[in-house]
Amino acid sequence: MPTRVQTRTIKRPASPLRKPKFQADLAPVEDNTVRSLKQELQLGSNSDFLSEAIALFQWAVSERKQGHKIVSETAAGEKRVLVLPRLERVAPGAALPQVKIDWTEAELEHLARLARSAPASPTEALVRAMRG
Amino acid sequence: MATVIRRLEENDSVESFDCGDGPLNSYLREHAWNNQQKSSIGVTYVAVEEAAPRTVIGYFTVASASLAKDALPRKAVRGLPGYDLPMILLARLAVDRRFAGRGLGHALLSEALKIAVRVSEQVGCRCVIVDAYSTAVEWYQRYGFIAIEGGRGSSHRMYLDIRTIKAAQQSRQSGQV
Repeated sequence: MPTRVQTRTIKRPASPLRKPKFQADLAPVEDNTVRSLKQELQLGSNSDFLSEAIALFQWAVSERKQGHKIVSETAAGEKRVLVLPRLERVAPGAALPQVKIDWTEAELEHLARLARSAPASPTEALVRAMRG
Repeated sequence: MATVIRRLEENDSVESFDCGDGPLNSYLREHAWNNQQKSSIGVTYVAVEEAAPRTVIGYFTVASASLAKDALPRKAVRGLPGYDLPMILLARLAVDRRFAGRGLGHALLSEALKIAVRVSEQVGCRCVIVDAYSTAVEWYQRYGFIAIEGGRGSSHRMYLDIRTIKAAQQSRQSGQV
């Protein structure tokens, strides 16, 4: 029995009436990639390219939001899962396993004091760490 | 060279990883994958370079934990909500010494704290706990981790309130430093 394969047509986002401008600084390597992709996909303009890219990205985000994996499969059945850190951020439940931590009495007392008190202001290093 | 941080995968190359610490090396080489996939007692995130996307050059392992409210000394619970205290344990964090000094530790800790924020929004988390080596205490303190007094092991248990992490995120978003 043949394997059932589901395919989905990705809808391009409808173009708004008022079109905002989008400008990007690209490294030469990225610029070459864009040019070659436009050629391969037979896209005439940067706007068409961006529109297609957005549609693909939008679809990928929506799939990961639902917890679906994005997989590519070769003709031989070898599968590769797409893992993009940015996409992982929208995946539901960064489900972490539960572990038991051993505490001393003195640690518990201090921990309770810390948890009761007002939170400290973030340090500069912490603010930098939370960038993006 | 761009670095990517993602979950550990089975065919990642970990054999050459060397952070200069035996237990941290052997955890990655021998236990991280099994603990993630089979035992489900810790999820490991690895840093790889785009040019060598399977070679691990840094990692951290996180797990969630909670402290039963009954476990806290009675005199210490006043003022705390009457529930268990959910937390994230940053169990391990290491950088291959050949890649030290490039801000990779910062990037790994940054990702770990962002995971903590996401978890706190999905299932609740009051703080991040780390058991730090003596040599790393000062480094964690720069990020606001506070040493918890009264430990008996060789490592130093440290605490960072999730509200402080969220405040850092918000001040970044609103442009304040």
